[in-house]
Amino acid sequence: MARRLMLALFSALFVLYVAGPVLWLLSSSLQMESEITAVPPNWLPPHPGLHNFSAIFSAGDSAEYVNRGIAGFLPSGAANLLPSLYNSLQVGLWVAALNLVFSLTAAYAIAVIDFKGRRATLYTVLATRVIPDIALVVPMFLVIRNLGLINSLGALVVTYLAVTVPFTIFILISYFEGIPRDLYRASRIDGCGHWGALRHVYLPLSLPALVAALMFAFLTSWNEFLFALVLTQNVAAQTLPIIIAGFVMDFTTSFSFVNAAGVIAILPPVLLAVIFQRYIVSGLTAGAVKG
Amino acid sequence: MAAITLQGVTKRYGSVTAVQALDLAIHEGEFMVLLGPSGCGKTTTLNMIAGLEEISDGTLLFDTTDVTRLPPHKREVAMVFQSYALYPNKTVAENIAFPLKLRRVPKAEIERAVAGVAEQLELTPLLGRRPNQLSGGQRQRVALGRAIVRQPSVFLMDEPLSNLDATLRLSMRSLIKRLHHQLKATFVYVTHDQAEALTLADRIAVMRGGVVQQLDTPEGIYERPANIFVASFLGSPQINLLREGLPRPDWVAEGRDVIIGLRPEDVARPGEGLATLGGRVELVSPLGSETQLEVALSGGSVTLRVPKDWRVREGEALEFGVDPARLHAFDAATEQRIAP
Ligand SMILES: Nc1ncnc2c1ncn2[C@@H]1O[C@H](COP(=O)(O)OP(=O)(O)OP(=O)(O)O)[C@@H](O)[C@H]1O
Ligand SMILES: [Mg+2]
Repeated sequence: MARRLMLALFSALFVLYVAGPVLWLLSSSLQMESEITAVPPNWLPPHPGLHNFSAIFSAGDSAEYVNRGIAGFLPSGAANLLPSLYNSLQVGLWVAALNLVFSLTAAYAIAVIDFKGRRATLYTVLATRVIPDIALVVPMFLVIRNLGLINSLGALVVTYLAVTVPFTIFILISYFEGIPRDLYRASRIDGCGHWGALRHVYLPLSLPALVAALMFAFLTSWNEFLFALVLTQNVAAQTLPIIIAGFVMDFTTSFSFVNAAGVIAILPPVLLAVIFQRYIVSGLTAGAVKG
Repeated sequence: MAAITLQGVTKRYGSVTAVQALDLAIHEGEFMVLLGPSGCGKTTTLNMIAGLEEISDGTLLFDTTDVTRLPPHKREVAMVFQSYALYPNKTVAENIAFPLKLRRVPKAEIERAVAGVAEQLELTPLLGRRPNQLSGGQRQRVALGRAIVRQPSVFLMDEPLSNLDATLRLSMRSLIKRLHHQLKATFVYVTHDQAEALTLADRIAVMRGGVVQQLDTPEGIYERPANIFVASFLGSPQINLLREGLPRPDWVAEGRDVIIGLRPEDVARPGEGLATLGGRVELVSPLGSETQLEVALSGGSVTLRVPKDWRVREGEALEFGVDPARLHAFDAATEQRIAP
């Protein structure tokens, strides 16, 4: 009995630890600036309202938000928030889609086709991920500049693919290797070429791993900060993390506005996770156990 | 294309040679069985014929066409796997239809073909199920159906029955034999089960360590084994092999160092024209219709199968007759058969 109680207690503490900041973010996004900064803090919004969100979606004409003193003031880059949200979505979806194309074909080749140097290929691909991103920033900047892609969404897509594809190849290979080899053989006998075997055997049987790869690629580009900071310069290509980070670099910070922006940043990944949740758990453990 | 010719076909995995310079001519419409112990290269040979393994050296012909480098989907062979290898995400009907679908056969024709095959293999009530809702025997019938629906001229089977229980194996064995008669296709069948090989095969290729030891009809393999390995691989209980204690057949040269083989069933009551042997009975195992004996001869102990009316008891002395013409002689050094 005592054991169970302890267990419940620690679980609750852990949930609080993990979910606390998110809950506070939600709560404060519904409060006014003065309520957020009040001492003692308001755990629940005393006068919940969507004013911060409406400020985001009407950042162009900010007079009301400021004048009525609901929140106080708008950050200087407030008008960039929605465009950057759109940028982030575009980059994330492109990265997720292209990532799947590249890693699916590469993983199939390495896992299934018996060519000379397949192990070496795999290790080379994985080795690129041992180098910390910070060491790659300058070379990457030069490459992107020479490609003429600086300050474009393409720059981010290319870079994020370089970051995510090696991992997804690895996830997919371990999943593919758990698919019985005889199924591949049967498909070849039945009349499939390599594309056919990929489409009729490996694709339908590795859906969980594919969803995990998609999520991973999307989340990585959604969250990425360092490369985006270096490779983009203005609202044409800047993503959500850059813009939101910019809000707290103002002379004074509007916590109400920033926290509402944070809630918006959380929504797309959460939506994705909800849609695909039944695949995710088995996909994330795909590499751990074969079969 | 229906005749299959392997010329010096070799498969190497790094330093391992799985199949060594294999020469094999499989006739059109023949039921060829590749028989041998585990790891002797049977599956590798079959996979090379199918195109699933690259051929390291040598030439593979279908009739007179060189297919050595042809990918599997262009070879038009059908194959049945030990693991059944049914597509788990497809229903029985979809599994059987799949090869036709890939060949862009019209839909109505596919439906007709699937229905026909299902009828033939008694799969009709199962067409809507998925493989994980089937028993082992049903799965193997679906695998057979997927193979025959294309009406291929070459059939490859890799131990298709070894995951089934004994009764099922017998009925599937006769089903396969019937299919061979109906389809008149060339069958290459891999097994390590000698009973399967002897009942199904037109000819058997006995393999060991990637090398064919003997290629002959089941009768030829059993009656005239080419060497000691083949002699002991076929026959249950195993052939008795003794250096001394069994009579030397008269075609064996005087003074030559030989090993004499006696099949357990090649014994009779002492009589005219038979060499008479005697020894003490060490073990009696009644098998119903027959009795199996262990008898100590001067050169070692032998296993015999005798009619049950011999009424032998353990510890007694036994005299029995052996027809010298039915003995097998092998050179003791090379282990090769010495033919009469
Ligand atoms: N991919 C591989 N890499 C290295 N060696 C292999 C490979 N596949 C097979 N071999 C070796 O080749 C030899 C023949 O293997 P094969 O699978 O053809 O045997 P088999 O006669 O089918 O045996 P079994 O009755 O057990 O199925 C074996 O010694 C095996 O270890
Ligand atoms: Mg095998």
